[in-house]
Amino acid sequence: MRNPHVLPRMTWTVIWWAAALLMTASLAACAGAEPTPTAAPTATRAPAVTPVPTATPTPSLAAKQELRANLLSEPATLDPNRTAFATEVTVVKSLFNGLLGFNQDLSVKALAAEAVPTVGNGGISADGLTYTFKLRKEGTWSDGQPVKAKDYVYSIKRMLDPDLAADYASFYYSIVGAEAYNGSAKSDAAAKAALKDKVGVRAVDDYTLEVKLSAPEPTFLPKMALWPVYPLRQDVIEKYADKWIEAGNLIGNGPFILKEWVHQDHITLEANAKYWGKKPTLQTIVLRLLPDENAALLAYRNGEMDLVSVPAGNEKAILSDPVLSKETLRFNELTVFAFQYNVTRAPFDNKLVRQAIATALDRVAFVDKVRNGVGKPATAWIPPGMPGYDASIGAQYAFDAAKAKGLLAQAGFPEAKGLPAITFSYSDSTGNRTIAQFLQGQMKENLGIDIVLDPQESKAFRQFLTQNKHQWALLGWGADYPDPENFLPGLFGTGAGNNHMLYSNPEFDAIAKRATTELDETQRLKLWDQAHKIVVNDAPMAPIYYRERLWLKKPNVLNFKTTGMDGAVPGDFFYTDVTIGR
Amino acid sequence: MGKYFLGRLLWMAPVLIGISLITFLVMHLVPGGPWSREKQLAPAVIENLNRRYGLDDPLWKQYVVFLGRTLRGDLGVSYIYQDRSVTAIILQGVPKTAAIGLLAFTVALGVGVPLGMVAAIRHNTWMDYLSVQFATVFAAIPGFILAFLLIYVFAVQLHWLPTGGWGKPQQLVLPAAALAALPTAYIARVARAAMLEVLGQDYIRTAHAKGLAPAVVYYRHALKNALIPVLTITGPELAALVTGSFIIEQVFSIPGVGRLFVQGVFQRDYGLIMGSVLFYAGVIALLNLLVDLLYSLVDPRIRFG
Repeated sequence: MRNPHVLPRMTWTVIWWAAALLMTASLAACAGAEPTPTAAPTATRAPAVTPVPTATPTPSLAAKQELRANLLSEPATLDPNRTAFATEVTVVKSLFNGLLGFNQDLSVKALAAEAVPTVGNGGISADGLTYTFKLRKEGTWSDGQPVKAKDYVYSIKRMLDPDLAADYASFYYSIVGAEAYNGSAKSDAAAKAALKDKVGVRAVDDYTLEVKLSAPEPTFLPKMALWPVYPLRQDVIEKYADKWIEAGNLIGNGPFILKEWVHQDHITLEANAKYWGKKPTLQTIVLRLLPDENAALLAYRNGEMDLVSVPAGNEKAILSDPVLSKETLRFNELTVFAFQYNVTRAPFDNKLVRQAIATALDRVAFVDKVRNGVGKPATAWIPPGMPGYDASIGAQYAFDAAKAKGLLAQAGFPEAKGLPAITFSYSDSTGNRTIAQFLQGQMKENLGIDIVLDPQESKAFRQFLTQNKHQWALLGWGADYPDPENFLPGLFGTGAGNNHMLYSNPEFDAIAKRATTELDETQRLKLWDQAHKIVVNDAPMAPIYYRERLWLKKPNVLNFKTTGMDGAVPGDFFYTDVTIGR
Repeated sequence: MGKYFLGRLLWMAPVLIGISLITFLVMHLVPGGPWSREKQLAPAVIENLNRRYGLDDPLWKQYVVFLGRTLRGDLGVSYIYQDRSVTAIILQGVPKTAAIGLLAFTVALGVGVPLGMVAAIRHNTWMDYLSVQFATVFAAIPGFILAFLLIYVFAVQLHWLPTGGWGKPQQLVLPAAALAALPTAYIARVARAAMLEVLGQDYIRTAHAKGLAPAVVYYRHALKNALIPVLTITGPELAALVTGSFIIEQVFSIPGVGRLFVQGVFQRDYGLIMGSVLFYAGVIALLNLLVDLLYSLVDPRIRFG
């Protein structure tokens, strides 16, 4: 999932300053106005109670079960097949149920399917090529019709239709005939229809879906838990064409229905009375579309919202605020940031230089001082919370300026003498700017290297990277699905689409190739672990930190559960559990 | 005169075509396209997208297609707001932007002109100084700072008004006020200068000498002539106000056209960019024409022919 930065550089700058100014003023005012919290009476014999919200006894529920959150921007679409950004994913997840979903630990669970297919329960054939999903018979659409296997067949084939041009189609190329069909853009209608018929997805009966793969794919199940393969209603889409995603037209099978979509203003979701599963306590979810995080924060303070993001740069003010610091919602995200080298360009063609830089980064100081403690220092690539995370990987890059200087000298650049000019490029945003400035300071301080910063407008930066014009650039990567496979071959494989490091190691490629089709889970994770270690050792990028999200949540929003893969709004996997206390 | 304005109207067509061509070329020259994503899309997916939106055709053909569609009144589809019609998206934003713009414009004229007049009539008195001070302060404060100040005072502290959004009348107040401040100050200054100049003229002295009541001199004789310079700046101001202020719309979360255009540019939404540029150009051209028409009504000396 991607978080587009839609705001121009100047706007962010001015807004940030204005907000910083106001926040300082307002926080000072609050600090003055707030009554000093009195210490708990010590005379009672009750044990000291720590104010953990979840530990409080179930309070009575508020009469109005409504959650008001900021979605930040207008969704591009609510069509699951075409959804590609976190914004849309958050809404789509509430409107639809896939066959599979995720538990809070991000393991796969059965949702609209009766069970997660395994070889043991006959859901997966012995060769790993045929998957059979048994649908829950009680599953219904929000108009009361039963959800049938044909709805999944329709959705998957539609998602692969080259004329639909779905972003995530390439995630499902392991399905028989999928790649050929999706790549047939230039063929005529008859040829496309023939290719569509060859796609290996079929309804065996009303409640049995069969999917055939062209090669074993151990990550196929988590992919089947993602939004692009949620079931869809052919009759609804054909009836309303492009307008089927509008409120009143859209029919879903999820716990909520689309009550209202006032474009560019707000979306209202309402509990689906016909939902087959555990019905949500929340009656409505109002998703405001406030693109300005500072404005949303003011709305939160004004009591107009329950859930908003903390704008970059405001972390310190919020965390030191006597009231707001108690309303923070923090959770680790499966997202890592790193400084990626172009390893074909000097001086980064020299592995020792790359390792020297990786050792010269005081990541703890970065998280503490720059990020105000929000985030986790990273010496390796795979984030905590994802299978394959190992805190010991990359330990050799623990901050050590003396060792870093030694490595640089060993590389042939004692005291940084003889290094060519170094430019670091990044997509300009408040958050990225602070990272870049930190890097510049560390290089100067710890290695004596002067680097030039090259901030670029977001889309221009993307093209710059794609054309491999960079020497050194910022890299952020978030998970599409919780597996090392989503974090390694696509970035570090020779010639891979997102390998802008131009890194190539045949040993890595060989292991990655084996791991991609290895069906034995233990063996597979072991292979990815090896691949991960090779990359970290070769250091085509220097990791800096794993992102932690910082939001504000009103204390009366209860039973709130987050994961490392939440969409634009936190907690979006588990809104059915949320309750609003008094 | 009718012929003159008809001619001006007809001239708008080549002007709009010229603007759309320049926009089209610049848009395609700017690095990065609509499919430049943080995560690179698969080559087949990019091919499918290009095909779906006609971006695999040569540039000249894409422009011709755009032109043909536009002439039929269809501005095409948006790329970010997948396949929603650009016309519908813009039309959804227009009433909001226009409502706030017109309200701000009314405030600017309604407050700015009297303020300038009073300052001129009571030249070098406390009223004049106060008016000049007011104009200077509001001309100097950038709109977004004022916007945040207004939100902070009236929404966060006093809880009188909401911080933003759209749909209720009270949500109009703060953005219109923030938007009106600068033009009010500007109009007050221009009105004051123009009135001062007119009041120094011989025919005003004559009117006073005739023994006319001061109110009659000011409102019947001076005001009309003093309004011409105000009218001159009114056209561009009105155009600026009704086409929207991106910053104000952003800060108050108003889904107007100003915001759409800027989002379009940053997302390289070719459909939305072309549509909103044409919309802007058309509105500005029409408003300029309208102001020229008003000139001839206010000042009989001005004739078009």
